[in-house]
Amino acid sequence: MTFSLDLFSNAIVSGILLGGFYCAIAVGITIVFGMLDIVNIAHPAFIMTGGFIAYFANTQFGIDPLAACAIAMIPAYYLGRLLYRFYNVAFEKRGEESLQGLAFFFGLLFIIEVALLLIFGVDYRFVEAPYIGPTIEIGFISIPWRLLIPLIVGLGLVLVIIAFLSRTFIGKAILAVSQDPLALRLVGGSPVKVKEVAFGLSIATAILAGALLIIIQPIEPSFGRDFIGRVFCITVLGGMTSLPGTIVASMILGVSESLTSTFLGPSWSPAIAFGLLLITLAVRPVGIFGR
Amino acid sequence: MGNSLSIENVSAGYGSVTVLSDVSVHAGDGETVVLLGTNGNGKTTLMRCITGQVVPSRGTIVAEIDGERHNLIGLSTEEIVDLGISLVPEGRRLFPRLTVEENLTLGAYRQSARERIAASMDFCFEVFPRLKERRTQLAGSMSGGEQQMLALARALMASPKILLIDEPSVGLAPILVARMIDKIAELKTALGLTVMMAEQNFEQAARIANRGYVLVHGQVAFAADSVDDLRNSDVVRRLYLGVG
Repeated sequence: MTFSLDLFSNAIVSGILLGGFYCAIAVGITIVFGMLDIVNIAHPAFIMTGGFIAYFANTQFGIDPLAACAIAMIPAYYLGRLLYRFYNVAFEKRGEESLQGLAFFFGLLFIIEVALLLIFGVDYRFVEAPYIGPTIEIGFISIPWRLLIPLIVGLGLVLVIIAFLSRTFIGKAILAVSQDPLALRLVGGSPVKVKEVAFGLSIATAILAGALLIIIQPIEPSFGRDFIGRVFCITVLGGMTSLPGTIVASMILGVSESLTSTFLGPSWSPAIAFGLLLITLAVRPVGIFGR
Repeated sequence: MGNSLSIENVSAGYGSVTVLSDVSVHAGDGETVVLLGTNGNGKTTLMRCITGQVVPSRGTIVAEIDGERHNLIGLSTEEIVDLGISLVPEGRRLFPRLTVEENLTLGAYRQSARERIAASMDFCFEVFPRLKERRTQLAGSMSGGEQQMLALARALMASPKILLIDEPSVGLAPILVARMIDKIAELKTALGLTVMMAEQNFEQAARIANRGYVLVHGQVAFAADSVDDLRNSDVVRRLYLGVG
């Protein structure tokens, strides 16, 4: 494919828009995997669940997908807390979290996927909203609303979480438990309770990310697996615990994927996440914002 | 109302390694008690037993807080802190990538302490003006002396009744050790604390201690009713004063 400024600029812009969506899918993994060392590879399954909640609410009741998932974030938060409590008792407390915990989340990923398949079938599902369709044209650059909304919501979500972690007491405790769980106990805090809140928060973000996903494109249940590589790539590239790092890494991944699919063809873009992950691990294992 | 700590016949260790055997140590209401002993004699392990990080294989640990007796064995570290017993741990264990202010805030984790967080922080800044200057700095980027001040201040944010301090002098220049010891004495008086302090520096610890114990190979080698008794004891003279 020949290079043109027109194509290049559009690829950069849609990469940034895509990066905004990636912020939303990765922020939960930065919290649980980066900060709390919990390898929740079932995270994409919760994103898909969010997508189907949006689909169900939209097609059955005509509710806006974002509004539906914003409400669903509340039960999802409590579900996440419950899930962590189970994970803690079954694996973490016994010191078996590394391998058996991984197997647990892997199993969970499939259970959720199959459940979604049984309920919603294998067909691609989509939602309707006023911002799906229209496009803003600035010169030769086009910005579709269905990508602009996820950028705004994704960035906003990360900024809200940054504010939550740095401003609230429990937020500071989450940062503290990621740095030194014993020290948290020595000031009288229970690491398990703090991690429970953080895990709940992470699952809630996945639900919202699901709404963004189905706004961007039609989905089917097994679609979530495509995101496993991406979310872990973003967290590692961003420096594990750094939320600004998550934003920057999301943008890098989004732009790289967009450039690749524009100039080399869309079939290459899934390889980008793993490529970036390998390069990060080889060149700078602590990530961009890592210490 | 008394705040005291009684450790009776405690034996403890890690796995098959026994570190403490039959240790009995007591700190009465308002006392400053020093645990002397060089590295590897069990001072830190004893501190860990009191704070629930190591479960003793034998013996009892009872704390009296405001006149109420609590059996500490079997309680988790956070439950023990919640009773009003704070530890300034070995190695300080600050949150390195949080600011001074955030470290202090988290120090007030106890529900009762959280209600007076602002007042406690003002008090800490008054006692340690340096921490006020550095309030927005990351704890990990401060000097050793400043970190030790922060560790002490963070422990006080919990409004403890009993303060345990594990080797406040480690890694500090002599002039800073003296200042730290002065601060501990000042705080103890101001807040009416009961203090148990593990320390290697005999001369500095002796300035503020009421009583003391010498731990050797995990046993109480000498229990002294006064600092003079400590100074005149054979074991202290041999270990610290280079005589005998």
